[in-house]
Amino acid sequence: MKSTLKLTLLASVVAVTTAAQAEVNIVSWGGAYTASQQKAYQATYKDPDSINFINYNGGLGEVRTQVESGNVTWDIVDVLPHEARVGCDEGLFEELDRSAFAPAPDGTAMDDDIMVEVPNDCVVPQIFWSYVPFYQEGTFKGEQPTTIADFFNVKKFPGKRGIHTWPNALIEMALLADGVAVKDVYKVMSTDAGIDRAFKMLDKIKDHAVFWSSGAKPLELVQSGEVAMSLAYNGRIGAAVLSEGAKFVTVWDGQVLEEEWLVMVKGAPNRDAAMDFLVHASTTESQAEQAKYINYGPMRSSAFEVMKKGEPWFHNGKTIMEHMPNRPEVMARSVVANPEWWADYGDSIGERYTAWMGQ
Amino acid sequence: MSAAPETVSGPLITADGIPLKESLQKSLRRSKIRAALLVAPPLLFLIFLFVIPIGNMLTRSVDDKLINQVLPNTFEAFESWDKVSEPDESMFEAIYQDLKAADKTDIGKASVRMNYAKPGWRSLIKRTARRIKKMEPPYKEAFLKADDRWTDNEYWLSLGIMKDKRTLGYYLNAVDRTYDFDKNVIHVDEERKVYNLLWWRTIQVSIIVTLACLLLAYPVAYLLATLPMRIANLLMICVLMPFWTSLLVRIVAWMIMLQQNGVVNDTLVAAGILSDENRLAMMYNFNGTVIVMTQILLPFMILPIFSVMKTIPPSYMKAAQNLGATPTLAFIRVYMPQTIPGIGAGCILVFIVAIGYYITPELVGGKDGRLIGNMVAYHMQRSLNWGLAAAMGTILLIVILIFYWIYDKIIGIDNMKMG
Amino acid sequence: MALPIYATTGQRIWHYFYMAFCIFVLFFLVAPLVAVIPLSFTATPFLNFTPEMLSLDPDAFSVRWYKSLFGMCGDVEDVASTMCHNKWMTGAGRSLYYALISTVLATFLGTLAALGLSSEHMPAKRPIMALMISPLIVPLIITAAGMAFFFAKVNLSNTDAGIILAYTILGMPFVVITVTSTLVGFDRSLMRAGANLGGTPAYNFFKIQMPLIAPGMISGALFAFITAFDEIVIILFIGGPDQHTLPRQMWSGIRQEISPTILSAATILVLFSVVLLTTLELLRRRSERLRGITPH
Repeated sequence: MKSTLKLTLLASVVAVTTAAQAEVNIVSWGGAYTASQQKAYQATYKDPDSINFINYNGGLGEVRTQVESGNVTWDIVDVLPHEARVGCDEGLFEELDRSAFAPAPDGTAMDDDIMVEVPNDCVVPQIFWSYVPFYQEGTFKGEQPTTIADFFNVKKFPGKRGIHTWPNALIEMALLADGVAVKDVYKVMSTDAGIDRAFKMLDKIKDHAVFWSSGAKPLELVQSGEVAMSLAYNGRIGAAVLSEGAKFVTVWDGQVLEEEWLVMVKGAPNRDAAMDFLVHASTTESQAEQAKYINYGPMRSSAFEVMKKGEPWFHNGKTIMEHMPNRPEVMARSVVANPEWWADYGDSIGERYTAWMGQ
Repeated sequence: MSAAPETVSGPLITADGIPLKESLQKSLRRSKIRAALLVAPPLLFLIFLFVIPIGNMLTRSVDDKLINQVLPNTFEAFESWDKVSEPDESMFEAIYQDLKAADKTDIGKASVRMNYAKPGWRSLIKRTARRIKKMEPPYKEAFLKADDRWTDNEYWLSLGIMKDKRTLGYYLNAVDRTYDFDKNVIHVDEERKVYNLLWWRTIQVSIIVTLACLLLAYPVAYLLATLPMRIANLLMICVLMPFWTSLLVRIVAWMIMLQQNGVVNDTLVAAGILSDENRLAMMYNFNGTVIVMTQILLPFMILPIFSVMKTIPPSYMKAAQNLGATPTLAFIRVYMPQTIPGIGAGCILVFIVAIGYYITPELVGGKDGRLIGNMVAYHMQRSLNWGLAAAMGTILLIVILIFYWIYDKIIGIDNMKMG
Repeated sequence: MALPIYATTGQRIWHYFYMAFCIFVLFFLVAPLVAVIPLSFTATPFLNFTPEMLSLDPDAFSVRWYKSLFGMCGDVEDVASTMCHNKWMTGAGRSLYYALISTVLATFLGTLAALGLSSEHMPAKRPIMALMISPLIVPLIITAAGMAFFFAKVNLSNTDAGIILAYTILGMPFVVITVTSTLVGFDRSLMRAGANLGGTPAYNFFKIQMPLIAPGMISGALFAFITAFDEIVIILFIGGPDQHTLPRQMWSGIRQEISPTILSAATILVLFSVVLLTTLELLRRRSERLRGITPH
């Protein structure tokens, strides 16, 4: 998953500005994602030249090396949910004073404003991205697919289905399609019977499945008509619709959301400056600002108020709300991925899924 | 013959008065040392940057030290447990001591290892470790408060799999087997069996590719060996060009040719051989892997066969025909047996290279065209199960070294030719 | 190979079938590479021949993908746009840099090894030879995995130095093989003659042996160079984001979105390999001439 996201983001091209005499080194994934962070956080910061963005390929390897050797050069790192937890548990990240962060305009403290439970005191909110089904306008005559169950129903909506080559999000979706309530998904997944149930649902699209492993592939598959519907990263679909005028329709039901956090490396060389920047980057306004440049959803719910009032919010004059994966209307039918569950069962489910694909 | 020469009585002496035998030995020793000194720098370079790193990685396939270092008290307490009753306070105290003393990073690594033995350990350990500082006796109660899965004996029983400093668990995993809690070897659940299928598919693909290469290479090699030099050289460029072109370029080229809307399908549809709905699936599956690998490895087969054929004098065939053999018989009985060394060299070479392939199946293999090399990469980079990656790598390496050894015995490595 | 005039009908059919088969095989080897070239001039962002292209409509062709390859892609302000890549040129520069340095190292070390190993007095010749060649035999994925762990431990991962060392290892066997094979025909009495005539060993080496093994060194160096220039597995395992080589750019191009830019890069690389191949052929001829082997 890590590397896929990394490649997704690396694929787009933007030169990373290397400010001379940078004070705070912030490490992110590169591509369009880093560019959106630069525009939303760096350009609006009081001292933009003091911020230097660096690209990395994900993982905690480099952070661990720096912390263990005592030679820390990175200040802030953009991490996936699993790394956010492991790194904090293992003491690789600083625990931050939560009272230093700016409350929402209505006075709600930041941690209460974040749309998921905050896993520890190391993390600073970034965005949500998601796995979501979509199709091209005009693919289906008459009734259009509107639920995740429709994605798994090849009788009602004939045609091939694009799915990815790893099990994350698919297991959750299969259970949602089978009628499991959003809040019970991980409870059901923790039983053998629940996993069997998910695979039984997957069997229904097995003979119609086309597998993809890189973020651009599902768009290609749907565009060319090779598949009728596909799962994809919401960021990809949105970018195609917002910037290239593609006629894709997203089915906002049963999506699986993934978190993205900022953290400060333990022993960061510019602790105070880094903290100041983190406070700036996590304000309601900054969070909303980022959505001008990329259709990932801000983690703070107050940012949505700003965006709604500011529509059309996207930088090229289009409206953005309908591309936000975590807008309140769709949250009720979305699952936020549970990194702890995947840390426990990811390997064994991965093997079973690989076996299932290859049969 | 009247006066015998003086030198006959004693040993042969060189001009500077040293016995010849000694002098020769000395010069032999000197040239040995000179040769060894020449070889030493590249050899040491290779050992330090190639042999040791690989050897080092392979030891990970059996290594289980870390967990024993992190949880020494726990394993001691485990030994005195009857494996039936609910774990008592002494066992919880042991694991409390271990978790409290251990480095946070090591706890993380240990919990990952424990999770292979029993899924769930990872979050169980992490959740507990987060509270360990504030815990007070009785520890059993404190642990249960942190996570109620501590009463589940299965977690405790799974410790039995990890109690030794060396494990064969990763090798078992690599062939779809595992330990039960009593350390008996058992099959994994039917729906989780992946690796045997992959081993089998890897061997299948390697054999098919080798045979396909042989079938395609032999006639072409014969043509090249019998054509006049000028034309043969020109055709040789066709053979060598793919050899010299970037691997990724060749893969892209095949994607264009074979994909759903690719050149081959378009041509077949345009020619009316296929209908538009029935386009052949030649890419992103087993077929794709086989076709592309065959093209990529074909020069490895043509070249050794060609160089052997080059050495066979055409007069043999003529002689056989003069003695009354039909051309076909002469070819089969006289010519072909002489090309066997080339066939052997080509087949072993292609097989060795094919069996460890990674890039091509990764890009064109799709759902059922991926090989064991891809699984090694997956566990190295994605799942981070390095023990399992090392175990699969070791098995793969042993198979390849056996064939390499055979190659050396039959053909000799110094006869390997390039281009 | 020409058919004798007295051939029977059966022999004729067999002969034509045989020729057709050989042409098919040669076609199979080269066709995909040739197909890349016209398609790299497509005007559309898709990877198939459009009907307009097949009817040779000049409007269906363009050099836009070559422009994008060379970094002339105009406005990339729109961050969501993923069409233009200018990492191709920097990637090619990186690859060239790693390939050149590692080739020099590999040629030096490989030649030393070949000289030592072709001495008749070298102890443990066969096993050492087998070991020196083994980087060619061991699957790259295993080499890469081993190096990834080891290099991380000695702080060489994500560094240029680490990659150059790794590529030197991969290039060395080629030099060992090619130089050894030029030494097979080497007449050692030439060196003794040189020594008798009063040349120092170093003088004799450079004056007598060097010119003879030079073709082997150069063709070995070419192999080492092309291997390093085209290497993708090792770089994926031990390279950081700063070690973004040309194959890596192609890799992410293939995995992400295959824009025809990759085809223009491919076309240039195909032409590049034709040039290399011609060089090699000329070298081979020179080597044979020098060693007194007449071409048959």
